[in-house]
Amino acid sequence: MIHDSIIRPNLVIGDKTLHDVTTEICRPIENKPSMEWKIGFTLSAIFLGILGLTLTVTMMVGIGTWGLNKTVQWGWDITNFVFWVGIGHAGTLISAILLLFRQKWRMSINRSAEAMTIFAVMCAAIFPLFHQGRLWVGMYWVLPLPNAFGSLWVNFHSPLLWDVFAITTYFSVSLVFWYLGLIPDIATVRDRATTAGRKFWYNFWSMGWTGSVRTWNRYEVVALVLAGISTPLVLSVHTVVSMDFATSVVPGWHTTIFPPYFVAGAIFSGFGMVLTLLVIARKTMNYQDFITIGHLEAMCKVVMLTGSMVGLAYITEFFVAAYSGYEYEQYAFVNRATGPYWWAYWSMMTCNLIAPQVFWFKWARTTPWFIFMLSVVVNVGMWFERFVIIVTSLHREYLPSGWVMYSPTIVEIGIFLGTFGLFFTCFFLFAKFLPVINMFEVKSILKNRE
Amino acid sequence: MIDSKLYIDNNKTVTYGIFENPDKFLDTVGKVHAKGVHIIDCYTPYPLHGIDKAMGLKRSLLPIGAFIFGCCGFLTAFSLQYYMMTYDWPMVIGNKPTIGMSWVPVLFEMSILFTAFGLAFIFFFRSKLLHGKMPSERFDFRQTDDRMVVAIATDDRSIDKTELSSMLFNGGAVIVKERTNHDYDDFTDVEINRPVQYN
Repeated sequence: MIHDSIIRPNLVIGDKTLHDVTTEICRPIENKPSMEWKIGFTLSAIFLGILGLTLTVTMMVGIGTWGLNKTVQWGWDITNFVFWVGIGHAGTLISAILLLFRQKWRMSINRSAEAMTIFAVMCAAIFPLFHQGRLWVGMYWVLPLPNAFGSLWVNFHSPLLWDVFAITTYFSVSLVFWYLGLIPDIATVRDRATTAGRKFWYNFWSMGWTGSVRTWNRYEVVALVLAGISTPLVLSVHTVVSMDFATSVVPGWHTTIFPPYFVAGAIFSGFGMVLTLLVIARKTMNYQDFITIGHLEAMCKVVMLTGSMVGLAYITEFFVAAYSGYEYEQYAFVNRATGPYWWAYWSMMTCNLIAPQVFWFKWARTTPWFIFMLSVVVNVGMWFERFVIIVTSLHREYLPSGWVMYSPTIVEIGIFLGTFGLFFTCFFLFAKFLPVINMFEVKSILKNRE
Repeated sequence: MIDSKLYIDNNKTVTYGIFENPDKFLDTVGKVHAKGVHIIDCYTPYPLHGIDKAMGLKRSLLPIGAFIFGCCGFLTAFSLQYYMMTYDWPMVIGNKPTIGMSWVPVLFEMSILFTAFGLAFIFFFRSKLLHGKMPSERFDFRQTDDRMVVAIATDDRSIDKTELSSMLFNGGAVIVKERTNHDYDDFTDVEINRPVQYN
């Protein structure tokens, strides 16, 4: 009835029983926070404070506090938006696409990756919302609300509006998927609770879950259907983000390769961030038996594959520009590589195309400190990719009289650093109050049967 | 539609066995079901594959509901765009047709949104899950941790309880108890002793 391959090594090591899994994964929730947690949380909260401060300045004074100008109307804001949305792609990819492919190694990393998705999309949403300037009026541009402007509805032909629908759908569906997966584990914490507060709150959120087989039977069907609909969803989100650029007439943006290129880049950056977080989390939270070297290695392979796909897209863009015979397009690409922002372009090429190639070597894929360093390189590279696409394409367009340089102000830098504060504050709270590893899925892959 | 026999509160006496080994549990549940005894439900800490067949459960019909919700999402998105772009205030933007391919992304996203929320809602409704609800069918605090429970309705007098409990013990149960329900969340549990083995 149950067939476990004898050739494959165990996904969870340490010969654990079901009870061991529960005890070890619930440990951070049931004990006082560690010193590492306190330091990390305080630092993140400080950066969250910076976010609050810089956003307040933006609201009080206006968008003039940012370094944008008439030529470069999208600068760090949209760069950071695409950067964070990209990071938000690994979670649903791991939980949905890898579920459909029956990749069982996803089971100990999907919970934290999905949490990352939700927090990253929250960070991403800040940028386009605040870029509207007057946020309270901006609602009318992004939502189809009845209004007093002569029934001036939103424009459904615009990719910017598609983006609003795509990202809100992605956020809410990911949240539903994440929460459904959490219910059985919250119930486990509830049944072990010793304090009144924990008993009340975990009981509230566990919705009376008892582990009934009839409910499990439905639950499995629900998870499969959600995975099925989330798979096209996750691919559609970055496709729509790429259309924000691809449907314009700006040289360097007006390219049909954008959708697959952006999706590959999003998966690449998402896995980069998952690796950054999990290499630290498995060490500090003592989860090496659950998130093994094998898990890190599998993720490194995904990083290498998608990094190469992104690299191929960079080269294809150059080829298409050269072959098009369209001099504006050709100039846009020559300007990227040799113009005033050459350093950004070559940082991108080095970090995204060249650096991940070290993962061809097994040593590189199995050494945690090295994986951590390289995942940071990937994150930096993917940020530069968005900066290159947005700023170098805009700063020298058709009219040479409009050519300018762009540099961010302190407020823009503060908002960007602040979103890291928001992201990590949420992650630290998640690591303290919810099981970071999906207990019930890990239990289902233990090989301690008779 | 919901079979009232399936819920614990409706059964006066329930015999339940607590197991620690998933394979033994699976075999025993299969044997009890094959004997024609009415199994109310089983409780496991994780989705135990094969138990649905052992208990004789059918595949859930929730995907049909999900499909209906998806269609509702599609129709909502279509009527929204039709009303705003074509009927209420027709606007020609970039010389594009008012009904066209540019509607596709919103149609797609709204269908997905409605499917996911609709499916979650009917799943909660069908499984009687609600925020803050007390878990009334908790036989053992470790049924969400490492133990598996099978709950069998023993209201019917034709059931030989001694035979049933020895069947559970022989199948690998660590504890067998009999629960008598008096009212909602009011019951008494009596532990049944392991039958003495004579060599």
